[in-house]
Amino acid sequence: MKKQKILIVDDSEMNRALLLEILENQYDIEEAENGVAAIEILSRQRNEFSLVLLDIMMPEMDGLAVLSHINKYRWNERFAVIMISADDSPEKMQRAYKMGAFDYISRPFDSVIVRRRISNTMLLYERQRQLEETIAEQFREQERNNKLMIAILSHIVEFRNGESGAHVLHVNTITELLLRQLILHTDRYSLSKSDISLISLASSLHDIGKIAISDEILNKPGRLTNEEFEVIKTHSAIGADMLSELPTEQQDMPLVKTATEICRWHHERYDGRGYPDGLKEDEIPISAQAVSLADVYDALTSERCYKKAYTHNESIKMIIEGQCGAFNPLLLQCLEEIADLLKNI
Amino acid sequence: MTLKECYSSFGGDFDSVLLRLSREQLVEKFVYKFLDDKSFHLFKTSMENKDYVEALRAVHTLKGICQNLSFTKLYESSNITTLALKENDYQKAAESMPQLSEDYHLIINAIKVYQSCKEA
Repeated sequence: MKKQKILIVDDSEMNRALLLEILENQYDIEEAENGVAAIEILSRQRNEFSLVLLDIMMPEMDGLAVLSHINKYRWNERFAVIMISADDSPEKMQRAYKMGAFDYISRPFDSVIVRRRISNTMLLYERQRQLEETIAEQFREQERNNKLMIAILSHIVEFRNGESGAHVLHVNTITELLLRQLILHTDRYSLSKSDISLISLASSLHDIGKIAISDEILNKPGRLTNEEFEVIKTHSAIGADMLSELPTEQQDMPLVKTATEICRWHHERYDGRGYPDGLKEDEIPISAQAVSLADVYDALTSERCYKKAYTHNESIKMIIEGQCGAFNPLLLQCLEEIADLLKNI
Repeated sequence: MTLKECYSSFGGDFDSVLLRLSREQLVEKFVYKFLDDKSFHLFKTSMENKDYVEALRAVHTLKGICQNLSFTKLYESSNITTLALKENDYQKAAESMPQLSEDYHLIINAIKVYQSCKEA
């Protein structure tokens, strides 16, 4: 295994030589004879170092100034700084600790103690780094699984609807693009990046209510009668009701709250002529407004049992002209702005 | 003359330094190295030039070296000078110089004697 590297910063050649003697069997050592030289080395190659041994009283730039620089640029997230000053007055030590020093080795140096404190510090840093990596990996894994579960669930719904599995993915993507564009124009909806990811994920569930609609109506090739259309329309409220019957603690989860809004209101229209509640304008949550527009665009550009696919340009034109219902004008503007991106979906 | 006897002659603590540095050769190596260390001379010139910042740094370094090598007597005198300079008490610092100088030269001479005994 490659030796870990230590930077010794001390103006006294005797002291550097002594530390070198104590440490060189176990570590690669580099030396700096003052603060300026230390900063220069660290600016260039700080990733190589696992530890810095830092004297305080030095010409050019003293150890506390070096420490302050290291702390300011957060270099000590990667390596530990251990002070090695002959000045072990409590105020100096406290100051160094406050400024981000990890430890303080006082004179006289005891070779066994110096080696042990240095190896313990490095071990701690290494373990910390490994733990962070493990947690990040577990987090990513869990997120992948969550997304996968939702994808499977929505795929089942799609499968029964006779729609392509791609519809859900398209709605995810378009919803996310629309909202990202929206926050460039307004902060009216106070959407953070993580809110947008959540809405995009929850959009997968927008049509879950359709599992309660009979096959004959759902997959009828020809035109629906008024009665049949009334039955289809119940899917939005049914989807929301299904989610509202989840245990209370699950209902309080942001994903479920957002999915419930989207299920219930993704067929509302900006002019109040949608269903089931006839909400208008911003009475309709922005999540549902965005999914609604994404859903319509993707439905138009896809082939269904009752219709052929429209081209991208035709679909945008039909939506802008209001042939598919009224939408938030700002969202329509966003749709036009991201039109080129949509072509590639 | 052994290294331990050499230490005794100038008021150093050989057992302590050997315990900390583990090997006698290593102690010897750094004792020899001390002959070439510039901090005492830098301190002296800086005091003569009334450059008290540099003088403090030099005597502070000397103090640190004495701690590491268990030069107990010189440590004590360099500590007194360091404290005086830290408090900007230049008169006290100047007054402490003869003792410091005496302790320093006692060590240098003892090391030279030890070195010539060994080489003889």
